[in-house]
Amino acid sequence: MIETYGVTKIYPGGLVALKDINIKISKGEFVFIVGPSGAGKSTFIKLLFREELPTKGQIFFNGKNITRMKSREVPFLRRRIGIVFQDFRLLPEKTVYENVAFAMEVTEASSREIKKRVPYVLEKVGLADKAGAKPSELSGGEQQRVALARALVNNPDVLVADEPTGNLDPDTSWEIMKLLNEINKRGTTVVVATHARELVDGMRKRVLQLDKGALVRDEERGVYSNEA
Amino acid sequence: MRLRTFNYFFREAFISFARNRWMSLASIGAVASALVIFGSFLLLSVNFDHILKDVESQVEITAYLEDAADGSSIARLNAEISSISGVKQIRFVSKEAALEEFKQQVGKELLEGIDNPLPNSFRIKVENPQEVARVAGEVQKLQGIEEVKYGKGVVEKLFNIIYWVRVLGLAVMAVFAAVSIFIISNTIRLTVFARRREINIMKYIGATDWFVRWPFLLEGMMLGFIGSSVAVGILAGGYSYLYNVVKLNVPMISLIPAKEFYDYALGFLAIGMSLGAFGSSFSIRRFLHV
Ligand SMILES: Nc1ncnc2c1ncn2[C@@H]1O[C@H](COP(=O)(O)OP(=O)(O)OP(=O)(O)O)[C@@H](O)[C@H]1O
Ligand SMILES: [Mg+2]
Repeated sequence: MIETYGVTKIYPGGLVALKDINIKISKGEFVFIVGPSGAGKSTFIKLLFREELPTKGQIFFNGKNITRMKSREVPFLRRRIGIVFQDFRLLPEKTVYENVAFAMEVTEASSREIKKRVPYVLEKVGLADKAGAKPSELSGGEQQRVALARALVNNPDVLVADEPTGNLDPDTSWEIMKLLNEINKRGTTVVVATHARELVDGMRKRVLQLDKGALVRDEERGVYSNEA
Repeated sequence: MRLRTFNYFFREAFISFARNRWMSLASIGAVASALVIFGSFLLLSVNFDHILKDVESQVEITAYLEDAADGSSIARLNAEISSISGVKQIRFVSKEAALEEFKQQVGKELLEGIDNPLPNSFRIKVENPQEVARVAGEVQKLQGIEEVKYGKGVVEKLFNIIYWVRVLGLAVMAVFAAVSIFIISNTIRLTVFARRREINIMKYIGATDWFVRWPFLLEGMMLGFIGSSVAVGILAGGYSYLYNVVKLNVPMISLIPAKEFYDYALGFLAIGMSLGAFGSSFSIRRFLHV
């Protein structure tokens, strides 16, 4: 479903953030991307949803070369990818329900579909009773679950998360990880960039380790780090 | 596009309108002043044109014939003048008729028994007032014409005035339009800036550029529309008032009735909305590339 061939990213200024990355992620997989700060994890995630273009190499998503994609096709790529950030990125003046519904409004879904789908997704992330609350009235873990619901509401092929637990305490982080695992079990491919050693070790999923922009390890049922 | 999407666009446009009340009012004011000024010049020049046509239709060319001209050369001249392009009407006035006319004006007694000093002449009307000078020139060149007279100077002067009124009107309009675009684009920039987070999120969740753009365009068009409505209101009210005042106090001048300008009102609304759309598209462009 996601394939990269010789992907290199050099930022303006000459910094090499990724070097010759060749990865294949199949449908239904759960993949951690780990590595020290500055290793290139966020850069890799950004390449997946075309926030950045690779300097060299090709990226395929569902068989389509997204590096050659016209910019007016990008919105439709992003509708196939649910994106979750460390800082949640919710709209503060909208309620939980509206934040999630917004992702469907953007795709011009009908209000019938929206009314059916949003409560269903909120139920799945365990927020059915918070639909009317504003993000500021929620805990960090709850806010991240809203973000997850928003990422899932359009039924994406892949869920991509950049440090989804970076702002959360260990217990809440575990809840989010379990939720991601459930989402994955229901068939959505999940790609998570993270620093959280205990979570990665606890989950035993495929681990891609980056170091200074290079892919140094690709291990099924891996742990955060083999040294140490 | 779905109706609910459209509703969404309008709702968003209204929300930010309410949020930036003062800048919105400034934008509306700018559009309104631009169009009021433009409209005043327009009304002025159209009316001037109209009045001039009145005056002009009374301006005749009088071509005096040489005394030697006999019946056959009069007939020849008549044919030659008629064939000059732009001549609408030609009338022969004989010596005798001219004297009669003159007597009417001055009083019979005074001229009793005097030898008729007046020449034969043609009175010529032209189709287009602007051609008076040219036609007069061509008549002058014909053989057998002694002298040509017309309301020289007045006509040219009036045309000059109209021309400058138009140039000035357009120039002032251009300046004010630029100012309107500038103010609107700043208003929209505030909106866009206040909502850059939202725009950013929209892009991440797969909104197309046009989906992001529409609310801002609508906001700009709304500002332009309201501004031009205000302008149309002011112009309509002001002109009707002026029309009545002139009609009562200066009956010789006939202005164009206000209802003849109803079509222009639509044009003004369209101009206002275009100014708004133009202004906002300026500010959106920079923020769209996420
Ligand atoms: N827009 C940019 N322009 C220039 N350099 C950048 C840009 N974004 C990231 N970098 C650099 O690229 C390198 C990789 O950054 P990236 O954000 O991918 O690392 P990361 O693995 O996500 O780190 P962290 O764990 O701290 O989030 C870093 O050295 C960073 O400074
Ligand atoms: Mg990062």
